[in-house]
Parts: sequence; structure tokens; C-alpha cells
Amino acid sequence: MTNDNPLKRILAVRGMGQVLTAAAGLLIMCVVFSYVNPSFASGRNLANLLRQIVPILLVGIAQSYVLITGNIDLSIGSVLGMSCMISATLMSGGMHPLAAVALTMAAALAIGWLNGALVSRCRLPPFIATLGTMIIARGIAQLVNGNRNTDSIRKMVPADVVYSAQDAFRDIFYLGKTFGIHNCVWLTLLIFTFFAFLLSKTRTGRHIYAVGSNIEAARLSGVDTARTVTVAYVVSAFCAGTAGLYTTALSGMGAMDAGNMYELYAVAAAVIGGVSTLGGQGILLGTVFGASIWCVLKNGLQFAGVSVAYQNIVIGVIVIVSVLLDVIVRTDMLKGKFKKKTTS
Amino acid sequence: MGDHIVEMNHISKAFSGVKALDDVSFNLKAGEVMALLGENGAGKSTLMKVLSGVYTRDAGTVLIDGQPVDDLTPARAQSLGVAMIHQELNMCTHLSIAENIFLGREITRHGALADAEMNRLAREALSRLNIDLDPATVVGDISVSKQQMVEIAKALSVNARILVMDEPTSALTAREIEDLFAIIRKLKAEGHGIIYISHRLDELRHIVDRVTIMRDGRFITSMNFADTTMDEIVSHMVGREIKEKFPRIDSRRGRKIFEVKHLNAGKPVRNVGFSVYEGEILGIAGLMGAGRTEITRAIFGVDAKDSGELTLDDTPVVIRSPMDAIRAGIVLAPEDRKKDGLCTRLSIRENISLPNLDWIADRLGVVRGRTEQQTVAKAVADLSIRLASPEMNAGNLSGGNQQKVVVAKWLARTSRLVIFDEPTRGIDVAAKVEIYHLMNRLKQDGIGVVFVSSEMPELLGMADRIIVVCEGRITGELDARTATQNQILELAVAFDDKTNGAAA
Repeated sequence: MTNDNPLKRILAVRGMGQVLTAAAGLLIMCVVFSYVNPSFASGRNLANLLRQIVPILLVGIAQSYVLITGNIDLSIGSVLGMSCMISATLMSGGMHPLAAVALTMAAALAIGWLNGALVSRCRLPPFIATLGTMIIARGIAQLVNGNRNTDSIRKMVPADVVYSAQDAFRDIFYLGKTFGIHNCVWLTLLIFTFFAFLLSKTRTGRHIYAVGSNIEAARLSGVDTARTVTVAYVVSAFCAGTAGLYTTALSGMGAMDAGNMYELYAVAAAVIGGVSTLGGQGILLGTVFGASIWCVLKNGLQFAGVSVAYQNIVIGVIVIVSVLLDVIVRTDMLKGKFKKKTTS
Repeated sequence: MGDHIVEMNHISKAFSGVKALDDVSFNLKAGEVMALLGENGAGKSTLMKVLSGVYTRDAGTVLIDGQPVDDLTPARAQSLGVAMIHQELNMCTHLSIAENIFLGREITRHGALADAEMNRLAREALSRLNIDLDPATVVGDISVSKQQMVEIAKALSVNARILVMDEPTSALTAREIEDLFAIIRKLKAEGHGIIYISHRLDELRHIVDRVTIMRDGRFITSMNFADTTMDEIVSHMVGREIKEKFPRIDSRRGRKIFEVKHLNAGKPVRNVGFSVYEGEILGIAGLMGAGRTEITRAIFGVDAKDSGELTLDDTPVVIRSPMDAIRAGIVLAPEDRKKDGLCTRLSIRENISLPNLDWIADRLGVVRGRTEQQTVAKAVADLSIRLASPEMNAGNLSGGNQQKVVVAKWLARTSRLVIFDEPTRGIDVAAKVEIYHLMNRLKQDGIGVVFVSSEMPELLGMADRIIVVCEGRITGELDARTATQNQILELAVAFDDKTNGAAA
């Protein structure tokens, strides 16, 4: 009953087809960009590129969780911005980063929980519920520092302190390196590993797929569907909140418009990597490739001297084509299935 | 035979090898009401779906107005004047009556919708049927019976002359039924042909001219209604012998496992009470829409209960959700496997383990891969589910194997009461027998089995006791060893009399 051939086993994993396609596409892009401009492949650029992938991957993981349950989270970008503003306001006001991070994440998780409750218990359409919280979270981001961007988070650190806790914060979330790779990349790898494990190897993860595939069948199988949907939204808010801390560490201050549009970039990263917006399908490894394609394209086109306007057009086309390929493949499968049923 | 507006000769149709229609012939004259009768699964709906182009026939000829029609698609059937009035109305409830009537063939003036003209034409169509409704009314705001009449008006406005009505009175009150019958008589007088499908045999005498009876996908007989009796009709519907063999086993009836009292859940479940004992299979019989499924859903906690006391092993249990039920030891293999039973886009492995993750996963919630694979392999072997790999999508299995997966996922855990809702629908005989054996095994193990089915032979063959429901009430209980199909059918049609006419 078990597949002994390891290659077969990898291919048997749901949605692996599109994940491999995305991986191949990524590889081709890297080769082409290195050829067009050799400095694309320089160690310096690659390290920088990895760090650019971090926020897109984090919000991609966030959106993937919610999409797999068959819902959507429009509040991701605003939660990122809110997290950035709250953490920066607290730190620039002199609070220890540890406490600031704890409070920030609590606020982000609260929005995630609210999203989950509105969608699963109050039965609001996810588009509407998270549109509401998207606007609310952006409002909070504007409110916390009196509708102004914050000063430097190091503002209250006495001038004679050479290495403050605020500096440590920036090192962990953006600046520092360990074994030659930025800490934020390690951190994201850790987050990815944990959530990939949760999704693929645990009961909760299985419930997330079941709810996205057929919520009624899941309910009749004894799945707590409300809890499952809420977990997905809380995971989403956790990742968005972490991406907000990254943004704070990046500039050393808080910007009110941080994360603008990121909820949609997140959708793009997820669907390029094979996550279905209809729910029940996709794996986080695919989102890694999706997020990477997004960033490699931006970075590579920049190195190739393509203007931002064309970059946007190319990325838009890639989003459509990657999903179109999937639709074509799946329609053919459905047709095949239909034929089998009618002729047998 | 020149005046036949519909002639269907030697029609056959199979679904994945199971014959739904076997050499069926049927005809309809202009200006008559033909009742199409038979038990659930006799093939009435399938035959009508062939006529309306929803299904393509495998063999046989269809003549409409004497002209052979080869490629019958829904659009072609409609243009030839065939219209189906469905049991579940197909209306856009947010749109107005006129918008529904002209849906898909809207009238425009200079590219803009000509609402005034469509409203006027809709009013005409309604008034032809003596229906007094404002065409601008939103369909969701009018009663079900009025919606049905709008649907009839819609059919007539596309010049339908052959109307198929499938259980048109099931949702209507006595007064509304009278109105519907008046419309039917008017249509008949205008020369329309009407095919009338109903389980409410006592209604027939008000409108019907001829009857055609089907059984097990075959044509049985066609008669003038005036020349026959109700008894004759019922015995034709039921047939005389039970053809399939059922592996019933006898085991001693033990302690009471489960009892439900005063169960109410909306209109479809009214004051239901019964008990299930160790070592028996309790059958639940009833016609389509009688409330069988709703009873099981209310017990399992899918739908909210208005009232009801449940006892499991002499301990009262409170069930508000399927989670509560499963925790207490009650499981349900639901009727509609595509909608309620399976996550079709997930693998067979994931479907089978879904309700069992509480014990397949360890305390931290991590799914134990080995345990899962062994559980799935055992379930697949136990039910002889034919599959290439447990990793394939459940949606790609055949109907019979899908049904086995729905059953398998529940049998992998230990329960006290297992409810099967139509476990053998649409599956082949060999697969049916495997499911019967499974029910027997549960029965021998002292687990309570509730077996809901619309097929009387299998209930008589497999169950020990049978309770019959009609309109959400239990209308009787029978010993399956001595009961007959006629007895079940009588109890199943023990409706509150709505047609207050002369005695039948």
C-alpha cells in the first residue's frame, strides 16, 4: 500500500506538480538574470535578495494558511503596518524591545482572532470581515503615534550606550548575520519550518485542509470548523505581525503606510506557488518558491535595467500565467475523469 | 397512435455499469395528465431527465410530435416544448418574477433592458393562469406555491407543451393544491400534455387520466386510471418477489443501547422517539422527503433540535454538534457523499483518517504516519475498496468506492451507535453485499446499527425492526421478518389528508 519509490512519494504530495513548476521557473530566472547581468549572482546581491524575500514570504505564509481554509485575509498588509507602528512607537518612547515586541504581537494576534471570530462564528463573508479589519488596523497604525511616522527607535537610548537593546532588536530582525546569513532569514526559516510542520503533520493542519476542501463534510466528521478557521487567521496575523517587526528593524523607525498592498502580494506569492484560492490545496514550500519568484523578478529586472513600470507588468503576467497553467491542467483532468465515468 | 406528443421507445441508460433504465417505453398524448409512478429509484426521474435532455440515453428512440429527436440536449428539449417543473424550484430568489420569467432571453430596446415590456408580458403569462401577482415582486418574497406557479408560467411563456411536474404538491397546503389542480385542468383543456410524478397516490384521482408504472428501471405497465384500483397500482409498484439476497444474521437482542424521545427539529422532524438494542439493526423507512435524513441529522447534531432527550447506555447525552455526537460514540455516514461525506479534493488517506485524528495523532497533535497508514490500509482491505493508491483524490473514485470510503472512515473507530443513511445508494450489488456484511459485523459486536434506506427490499432483508416515517412523524413500527412492502408503503403514505375531497 505504501509507495517505496521516493520520487513517486514526493510527486504524490498534493499540489507538488505546481510547486516543482514554480521551482523550475525560479531556477530558469536565476540563470537568465545571471547571464544578463553577472552582478545579479554576486554574493552581496544574493544575501540582499534573501533578505528581501523575508517579508514577502512571511505574508505569503500568512495568506496561504487562510487561503487553504477557503477564505481570504485582506488585513495582512494593515496588520504589518500596525505592528510596525506600535513597535516603533513603543521603542522610540523608551520601552524595552522585548516588552514592545510582546505588546505588538498581542495586538496583531488580537486582530487575527477577531478575523477568525467574524468569519467562522458570525459567518461574515471573509472578504467583508477582513476588509473591515484591514481598515481598522490601518487606522490603529495611524492613531498610535498621533498620525505621524515615528522617530528613531533609538531616540531614548543615551548617547554613551554603544550597543543597546534597540540595536539588538535591529540585528535580530534585519541587520545582523549568523554564519554569514542574515538573522531575519534564519528566523523566517524557523517560522516556515514550524508552520509547514503544523500544516502537513498535525491534526490542526489536516483540519485546515479539510475545512477548505468541504466544510460540511469536515463538520460532519467532528472537526471544530470555527476553531480551525480561527487558528488559520491567528497564524496569518502572527506572520504579518512578525513582518511588521522586520519593517521596523529595517528602517529603525515606524512608517504608517508600511505593508500597503502586501495582502495582495501575499495572494500572488501563494498562488504562484500552487495554493488554490478555492481552498483545500497548496503547500508552504510552494509559497517559498512563489515569494522567491516575486522577489527575484523585481531584483533581477532591476539589475537588467528594466523600469519599475515594466517590472509590474511582467509580475502581473506571471501571476496570471502560473494560475492559468494550473486551471488548464486541472480542466483537462476533469474532462478525463468525466469521460471515464460516462463510458464505463 | 398519431396523437402522441411524446413517444419514448426501448430507452436504456446505465451509470457506471449500473442500469438505471432498462428497455423502458413511455408515451404521452396531447391534452392528458399521465401519472408516472414507482418507488424511489424506480427510474422515473432518470427517464424524465432523458426526455429533458439532461441525460443522454444509451439506447432507444425519442419522438416528439412524431419526429425522431436524436441529439436531445436541454436547449433542444426546451425548444421542442419540454419543460420540467422541479421539486426544488430553480429560481433566482433575489430577482423579480418578470426577471425570472425572462431569464436568459431578456428583451432589450437599444441595448437597454425593456423592463416595462417584460413586466407586461409576464403579467399576461400570469393572468393566463389566473394568477394575481405583480411581476415586479421579488421571488424570494412570495410563497413556495406561488413560486411554483411562476415556474409554470415561465415554462408556458417559452411555449412549453409538455410539462413534467416532479412531486409538485409536496410543499403545498390543501388550498394551494386546489389552485394547482385548477391550473393543471386548464392546461389539459388547452391541449398541453402533463407528466405528473407523485408519491401521494390519493391525489391522482383528482386530475390523472392514465398511469405508467416503473420498477427497478423497467417499464411495468400502462393503464387508464379509470380502469384500475389503488391496490393494483401499489402491487405493480412494489412487485411480488424480492430478487436480491440479503445476508441477514440472527443474533440475540441484548441491552438497550440508545433511546431518543420527543425529538423535534423544525417541520421535517416531529415528535420522533425510538430505541436501538444490542444485536439488532433498526431500519428506518419512508418516502423521499419524509424526514428520514433530517432525523439522523438532528440526532447527530448537524441540525439544531427544538427538543428531544437522548440516552446512550442509560446515560443522558447532550448533543449540540457532530463533535459532541462523535465524542459520545454516535457516528453518521451521511446520505449525500459528495456534499456531506467526502473532501473530494483530499486523498483517500486523509478522508479516512479525518474523523479519527483524535487517536491517530499523538498528544501534541502530530499525526503518527505509521498509525495512519496502517489504519487506512486496514480500512481499505476491510471494505475491499479498489484503488490505485490511498494518495489519490477521493473525488476520482467510482461512486461505490466513494461510498465505501465514507463508511470506512467511521468504522475505523470504536463507536456505540452507527447510523447509515442510504449506504447503498448508487452502488453495485457486490459492493452492497460488502456493506451489508459490515452492518452484520457491527450488529454481532453489540454495536447499535440504524439503517436508513429508501429501498424497501433491503430494509426487509437486512433490518430486524423497521420504523416508518411520513412527514416527519413515525407512523408505525414493523417486524422486518413478517412485514411486507405493502405494509411499509401504506405507513409511508399515511399523510395528513390535505385534499379534502371524497374518500379514496
